[in-house]
Amino acid sequence: MLATSPPTLAFGQDQAPDQAFAPRSGRLSALAIDKSFLANRVLKRVSLSLSPGEVHTLMGENGAGKSTLFRVLAGIHRPDAGTITLDAAPLDLRNPHAAQAQGIYLVPQEPALMGELSVAENMYLGMLPTHGIPARINWRSIRTSAQTALHTLGLDIDVRDDARHLSIAQQQLVECAKALLRGCRIILFDEPTSPLTSREVGFLFGIIRRLRDDGYTLGFISHRMDEVMDISDRISVLRDGAVTDEVDRTGFDRARLVSAMVGRSLSFDRKRIHRAGVGTPALTVRGLTHPTAFRAIDLDVHPGEIVGFAGLIGAGRTEIAEAICGLREKSAGTVMLNGQDITTASIPHIIEAGLVYVPEDRARHGAILPMSIRDNATAGQITRLQRGVGLLDRVREAEIAKQTIARFRVRARGPAQPMRELSGGNQQKIVFGKWMSTNPSVAILDEPTRGVDVGAKEDIYRLIEELSDAGMAIIVISSELEELIALCDRIVAIYAGRITAELRGAEITAASVGAAFLGAGSPPA
Amino acid sequence: MSTTTLDAAPRKRKPRREVREITLLVVTIAIVLGVGLIKPQFMRYDNLEFMVLSAVVLGLIAIGQTFVIMTSGIDLSVSAVMGLSAVVFGLASTTIHLPLAAALPLCLILGAVLGSFNGLLVAWVRIPPIIATLGTYSLFGGLTFIVSNGTQVDQVSNQFAAFGNANLIPGLPIPTPVLALAGVALFAWFVLNHMVFGRNILAVGNNAVAAYNAGIPVKRTLLFVYMIAGALASFGGLVFVAYTGSATATTGTGDHVELQSIAIALIGGTLISGGRGNLAGTVIGSIFLSVVITALVFLHVPAIWYSAGEGLMIVAAVTLGARRGGAG
Repeated sequence: MLATSPPTLAFGQDQAPDQAFAPRSGRLSALAIDKSFLANRVLKRVSLSLSPGEVHTLMGENGAGKSTLFRVLAGIHRPDAGTITLDAAPLDLRNPHAAQAQGIYLVPQEPALMGELSVAENMYLGMLPTHGIPARINWRSIRTSAQTALHTLGLDIDVRDDARHLSIAQQQLVECAKALLRGCRIILFDEPTSPLTSREVGFLFGIIRRLRDDGYTLGFISHRMDEVMDISDRISVLRDGAVTDEVDRTGFDRARLVSAMVGRSLSFDRKRIHRAGVGTPALTVRGLTHPTAFRAIDLDVHPGEIVGFAGLIGAGRTEIAEAICGLREKSAGTVMLNGQDITTASIPHIIEAGLVYVPEDRARHGAILPMSIRDNATAGQITRLQRGVGLLDRVREAEIAKQTIARFRVRARGPAQPMRELSGGNQQKIVFGKWMSTNPSVAILDEPTRGVDVGAKEDIYRLIEELSDAGMAIIVISSELEELIALCDRIVAIYAGRITAELRGAEITAASVGAAFLGAGSPPA
Repeated sequence: MSTTTLDAAPRKRKPRREVREITLLVVTIAIVLGVGLIKPQFMRYDNLEFMVLSAVVLGLIAIGQTFVIMTSGIDLSVSAVMGLSAVVFGLASTTIHLPLAAALPLCLILGAVLGSFNGLLVAWVRIPPIIATLGTYSLFGGLTFIVSNGTQVDQVSNQFAAFGNANLIPGLPIPTPVLALAGVALFAWFVLNHMVFGRNILAVGNNAVAAYNAGIPVKRTLLFVYMIAGALASFGGLVFVAYTGSATATTGTGDHVELQSIAIALIGGTLISGGRGNLAGTVIGSIFLSVVITALVFLHVPAIWYSAGEGLMIVAAVTLGARRGGAG
C-alpha cells in the first residue's frame, strides 16, 4: 500500500485551506527547562535539541521525565523556568493549541480521539472549516481531505466511522494524520509502540521514516532497546530529570545506554543457574483443552522451579494460563494443585488453595488506579484483614502496604499515594506485591515486565528469583527472549495452541529459544 | 520502506440510527390507539391538544437538557426556571398587562440570565454540574415563592391564552406552540450537526481536556449551553402559563420536570455520559411521556399511583432503548 502512495507527505497546506496553521520545520530546542509538580522536581535544567530530518529518541527509566519534557515542548505543561526555541527564536507555548500553531504536535501515549465522533471530525477537531451564512460546516470537504490524508499514510479507514471502532494502532496513526493535517512539521511520539504488535510497529516505523526523509523533526520515546536502535538517528538518555548522555548512530551501544539510564551497570547476559524440578509437582496439568484456543496441554511445575512459556502473541499462552486459573472455560483435561483437583473450582477457592495469576494488562485487570497504594496492596487479602464483625484492621493494612513498598523497592511518597501517580514499573511492583502477599504456592506471571523500565525490571527479576528460592512454583509468560533466558529453569514453547518443544538446562540458548518462539523446536520428549 | 499493512479493526455493523425513534413513535401511537379504544374520550380533539401542548412544554425544556447532557453535564434547575418564568409572566400579564410581544423576548432573556449563572458556576467556579444546579434549583424555586408570594397566579390575559391555543396558520389545526417547538427543534438540529458550536458541544462531552488541547473554547461552550437550557426552560414556562392560564410557586418543580426532561433525553437516545445526543429522539420522547402521563389519568389509575406508573414507564423505555444497542 505504501509503495503506491506519493513520495511526499506534505499535504497540510493545500488540502485544508481554512486552517490557521503555518507549517514550519526546524530545530526545536529546550534550554534549561525546569518543571516541578508540587514538591516533585521532575525536570532539572534539561536542555535538548531536536533537528529536522532526524528521529531523536528519549530513553530513561519510568519517572525520569521523558513524557514531561515532551509535554512541555507540546505546550501541555508550562515550564517553571527555561526557554523553548524554534530555530533560535523563543516560543511562548501557552497551550497545546499555541504549540500546534508553531507546528509542534504530540502524539500522546494514550490516543485522545473522541469515540462518539467520526474519524474525519476527530481529525479536524478545533479547526472545522465552514462556508456560507450561517457558518455551516463543510462536511464534504472534511471527509474528502481526511480520507485522502489517511490514504496517503496507507491507512484503510472509513473516515465516516465512529472513532471508537478503531484499534489502538489505527487511533495512533489517525493522531499522526491530525498532526500532518495541521501542517505540523515537528512531531513527538510518546511511547507509541507499547500497545502495538510487531507488525503494527513496522507500519508505524515505515511512516516515521518517510516523515524523516521529508525533513520532519521527530521525537520518540520507547523502552524497547531493539526498536530504539532500529529507528533512532540520535538518542538522549534522561535520568532523574536531567540528560545524562546523548549519542548519534555511531555511539549506539546497549551497555552504555543502560548504564546512562540507571546510573549503574547491569549485566545483560545474566543467566539463571538452572535447577531441575524435584519431588512432587506443585501444579499438574493433563490434557487441558479449549474448544478453539489450545488443546492437549500437559505440564508439571515443581516447587522452586521457574517455567517459561515462550511463544508469539496469539499462540495461546495467556489463554492456557487463564484456563489453569479458572478464568477461562475448558472442554477437557484436569488441573491439580498440590494434589487437590481444582479443575472446576471457583476463583476464590483457587486463590485460597494457593494459585494466583498476575495478568498482563495491569491497567485493566490489576491496578485500581484512583485508589491508594495501601488499598491496592491489600486488595488480594482484604477478607483476612477483618476484625470482629467486618471491621477493617487499618493498622495491619498500613503495615502490609509499607512492607510491600519496602520489599519491592517501590518509589512512592507513602502508602496513601494514589496508584495513578506512580510510574508503570512501580504500579507493576504493587500489583505484584498484592498477589504475593497471599503467599501462594504457585504463581503464573503474564508478561511481568511489560512497560517496565530497565531498573525496575532488574528488581522484578530479583524478586521472582527470591520467591522461587523460597519454594514457590512459578510460570512466566514472556515475549522477550532475554527475559526467558535470564529467569527460567525450563522453557515450554507454545505454538498455535500446542506445546511444541521443551528446553531445559543447557538446552536453553538464544538460538534454541528463538527457534521455539517460531514453533520450530523439536517435539517434547 | 515497510511493506506491512495494518489490520482493520473488526467492523461492527452500525445499528440504523432511526430504529430508536421509529420504535418510540410506534409505541406512542400504539398507546394512543389502545387507550382510545378503551376510552374514546382520549381521542377527542381537546385531549389530543392537551397532550400535544404538554409535550411542547416538556420538549422545549428537554431540548435544553439534551444539550447540557451532551456536554456530560446535567441541569436540575430547569423546572425551577420554568416555574419562575411562568409565575413572573403570568403576574406581568395580570398586573401590568405586559403584551405578549414583550413577554416573549423578556422571558428568553430571564432564562438566559438564570442559565448563565449555572454556566458560570460550572465552567469558571468549576462546581460539578449536578451540585451547582441542585443549588440553583432551590435558589430559583425559592425566588418563585417570593415572587408569587405563595399564591396562585390566574386570570392571565386573553392575549396570552391566544398564544397558547391559537393556530398561527389559518385553516390548519396546529397550535402556535407546536410550531414554536418545531422551529426550536429544527434550529437545534442545525446547530448540532452543521455549526461549529454544536460540534464543540459534542467534543466537550467526549473529552473536555482533549477539546481544550485542540483549541476549543471549553468554558464558553459550557456557558452557552447552560444559557440555552435556561432560555428554553423559561420559554417552556411561558407556554405553560399561556395555555393553562395559571401558575403556582410549585409549577415545574412540583411535577419534577427536571427529572422528566432528563428521562426524555435518555429515552430519546442521548448518552448520559455525554458526547452523543439525539434531538429527534428527545422530541418524540416528550410526546411519549406526555401520552403516558395522560393515559394513566384516563385509565382511572388511582392518583396515588401516577408517579410510580410514570417512573415505571420511564425505566422500561430507557432499559429497552439500552438493549437496542443505542447506548453502546
